[in-house]
Amino acid sequence: MNEKAPKIMMEVKNINLRFGGVVAIQGVSFDIHEGEIRAIIGPNGAGKSSMLNVINGFYHPQEGEIWFDGQKRPSMEPYEVAKTGIARTFQNIALFKGMTTIENVMTGRQLQMNKNIFWQMLRYGPAIEEEVQHRKRCEEIIDFLEINHIRKTPVGSLPYGLQKRVELARALAMEPNLLLLDEPMAGMNVEEKQDMSRFIVEVNEEFGTTIALIEHDMAVVMDLADRVVVLDYGKLLADGTPKEVQSNQAVIDAYLGVPH
Amino acid sequence: MFYKETGQFKSKYKEELAAFPLFEDKIGIGILGVLTFLVIPLFGLPGLNYEFAMGAIMIPCMIFIIMTLGLNILLGFAGQISLGTGAFSGVGAYAFYKFITIFPDINIIIALVLSGLVSAVVGVIFGLPSLRIKGFYLMVATLAAQFFLTWAFIRVSWLYNYNASGAIEGPNKEMFGIIMIGPQSSGMTRYYFVLVTLIVLTWLASNVIRGRIGRSWMMIRDMDIAAELIGIRPLVAKLSAFAFSSFYVGIAGALMVFFWLGAAEAESFDINHSFLYLFMVIIGGLGSITGSYMGAIFVWVVPVLIKEIGKSAFGFDAFVMENFSTILLGAMIIIILILEPHGLARLWQITKQKLRLWPFPY
Ligand SMILES: Nc1ncnc2c1ncn2[C@@H]1O[C@H](COP(=O)(O)OP(=O)(O)OP(=O)(O)O)[C@@H](O)[C@H]1O
Ligand SMILES: [Mg+2]
Repeated sequence: MNEKAPKIMMEVKNINLRFGGVVAIQGVSFDIHEGEIRAIIGPNGAGKSSMLNVINGFYHPQEGEIWFDGQKRPSMEPYEVAKTGIARTFQNIALFKGMTTIENVMTGRQLQMNKNIFWQMLRYGPAIEEEVQHRKRCEEIIDFLEINHIRKTPVGSLPYGLQKRVELARALAMEPNLLLLDEPMAGMNVEEKQDMSRFIVEVNEEFGTTIALIEHDMAVVMDLADRVVVLDYGKLLADGTPKEVQSNQAVIDAYLGVPH
Repeated sequence: MFYKETGQFKSKYKEELAAFPLFEDKIGIGILGVLTFLVIPLFGLPGLNYEFAMGAIMIPCMIFIIMTLGLNILLGFAGQISLGTGAFSGVGAYAFYKFITIFPDINIIIALVLSGLVSAVVGVIFGLPSLRIKGFYLMVATLAAQFFLTWAFIRVSWLYNYNASGAIEGPNKEMFGIIMIGPQSSGMTRYYFVLVTLIVLTWLASNVIRGRIGRSWMMIRDMDIAAELIGIRPLVAKLSAFAFSSFYVGIAGALMVFFWLGAAEAESFDINHSFLYLFMVIIGGLGSITGSYMGAIFVWVVPVLIKEIGKSAFGFDAFVMENFSTILLGAMIIIILILEPHGLARLWQITKQKLRLWPFPY
């Protein structure tokens, strides 16, 4: 990253999110710069996933503002947020189990496809052109993530690590500006983690995609992230470069000291 | 060099995206085509009386396949359960009746498409609860639709033109100079009409399912939250599934009355029929077009054959055989579902895979 002033892509301001009596997020503010890898860390139940859910419109905070591309975002439904170029993966894999890998990846293109029911019924002319064009892009993503061998496999029968990768492929197929990854390496072995880290860096560097990443493995975070947000019990504990965060006493007390 | 490769890419994908990419499948379809277009209309089915083969097996089977395709789109592909299929098929039948009696000169194909559309609209209206509720609760809501509609079929006498009998009946009606429906139509004409309709509707359904809209249904079925986060509007996906499904079911209902039974009352669209179609879908295999064919054929043909064999070979009383065949069908359904919960389509797939390797399984 060069030193010129970074452009702010997304900013959450003073977010408060409650579920009945449970306070999931309390007055949290931070921003995400265009082109960076922003890690969100914190102990279990800190509100990290909830934060992503707020960003992509699945949860609606009781208070707070979300600014995206320099504008205050009105309250949006998830499908509307998807249209603004935000994609995500899930902590608990949320693939379409009845579909194959390639079909799952194709679902990421849905928003960019628009041929109507009549063309769809004929599967001819514009409809098939569209299908082929998007299919080609999906095959490229599949190549990139090295999951060619499972193209036609129903995803339900894939091992966990590969499912995570298919989920990333699906999110990439949306060609998002902002990619939210909720623990993309959870439950992976060292080798799989290395592969996944490599993909994340390549996506960030080659496609210029901005990434917000939740991750428990501190080594990975220190390695990948440009900046880190630390949440604890729904509150913002620290915000800075990996080095700054790592040496922050409050963080050490709350998080780094806790063995996982 | 570069161009060539992209060109190849394209043709490769297009081939892969075709309906029957495999050579073996193409041969199979060709054989089926010769059988259904030539052999069966000429000779009927082996060992069966010709009239019986056409009127009690072939024509109803094809109509029930359309019905099953319709329900499978909703249940198997979009994951929305419905117990109102019988009633929705009735909507198509009554709509067809109204169209051909109000506009006696209407073309039959147009009347059929319009009836499907009416059924689609009604399907969407009764599909609205699906936006709020799922599973069992949705089942109850569609059950309410079922009862409301069958009630309307009896009470709203405008629907059957104030007939004393309360039945709708096909008048003789021509298309291109040939009598297509009504007492004077020939079984052969109706057979071909239903066959072509079935082929066209199968082709259209398989196209839709493999494209953008079909995927949106499966997304909602498999993981509705993820679907929404990818940009699918549940409202659009669910209601389009109800519409498309009911379109098929409505057409099947109209065909059932006017190309097979000749006349019908509200009974032909009751809850028992809804269950019958549900059996066909489940036995055949959820989310499979081949399965829709197999399920409809199995559930319709097995009891008919059992009854026929019982009557002609053993001289059993028709009433006894009726009950016996129901029991036997029930038992077979249970056995199949225990063997393979994914239905006949999956059993067929497994067999095919084994055959492909045969005789050298490695
Ligand atoms: N839909 C919900 N309804 C009620 N409570 C919720 C809901 N979602 C999250 N919470 C609560 O909000 C808090 C934060 O949860 P969240 O899932 O965001 O934590 P997290 O930081 O992602 O934790 P983990 O590391 O375990 O994934 C928890 O106390 C959780 O129980
Ligand atoms: Mg979480």
